[in-house]
Amino acid sequence: MTQVAPRVGIVLVSHSVRLAEGTADLAGQVSGGTVRVLAAGGTEDGELGTSAGKVAQAVASAEAGAGVLVLPDLGSAVLTVRAMLEDMPGARVVLADAPFVEGAVAATVTAAAGADLKAVATAAEEAWHARKL
Amino acid sequence: MPASSESITLTSDLHARPAGALAVAAGRFAATVSVIAGSKTVDAKSVLGVMGLGATRGQRVTVSAEGPDAEEAVAALIAILESHSFDAEAR
Repeated sequence: MTQVAPRVGIVLVSHSVRLAEGTADLAGQVSGGTVRVLAAGGTEDGELGTSAGKVAQAVASAEAGAGVLVLPDLGSAVLTVRAMLEDMPGARVVLADAPFVEGAVAATVTAAAGADLKAVATAAEEAWHARKL
Repeated sequence: MPASSESITLTSDLHARPAGALAVAAGRFAATVSVIAGSKTVDAKSVLGVMGLGATRGQRVTVSAEGPDAEEAVAALIAILESHSFDAEAR
């Protein structure tokens, strides 16, 4: 099957470099690797924390022409993302309120199926209701 | 509205990667697609729902669809369930 339409990109903002990278790896593999999933974890020097610069860079790399969904791991990452978005007024970016791992997997799989940014955001936020047992 | 349904016996447990493949495939169809295992019915387009089925090797699973491309959707998902040889490790 030839896929011509661009996919929504995903940016995972975590306080931890490894948490962001591991979650990006998992979401990428479960979805078949057709979606740009970027990790933006840790501070500029790799310590625990968040970096507006890393988030901005990841958003730019994740944009394939269909917009970008940003998922924060904890509430305090939201501040960094919001500050960054104010500096990127033209960016088609949605910040999702979702559980980090489940939201990342659900959003990436939905993006891989070719859904638009709104549907990808909804898939992430619906992850609050997905039971494991 | 066209409807279609087909069942298959799983040859391995339904882990994360096959669940992802099913949901990606289902999302490309306009039809409403469900996966049924035991007493649980989930939206095939929801990867977390499919994972939450906890479907295991030897279990009978039904793929059911309703919509204009229901038949193609069921055929595609059954083909994925048949083709995945993910039995060695928990992937």
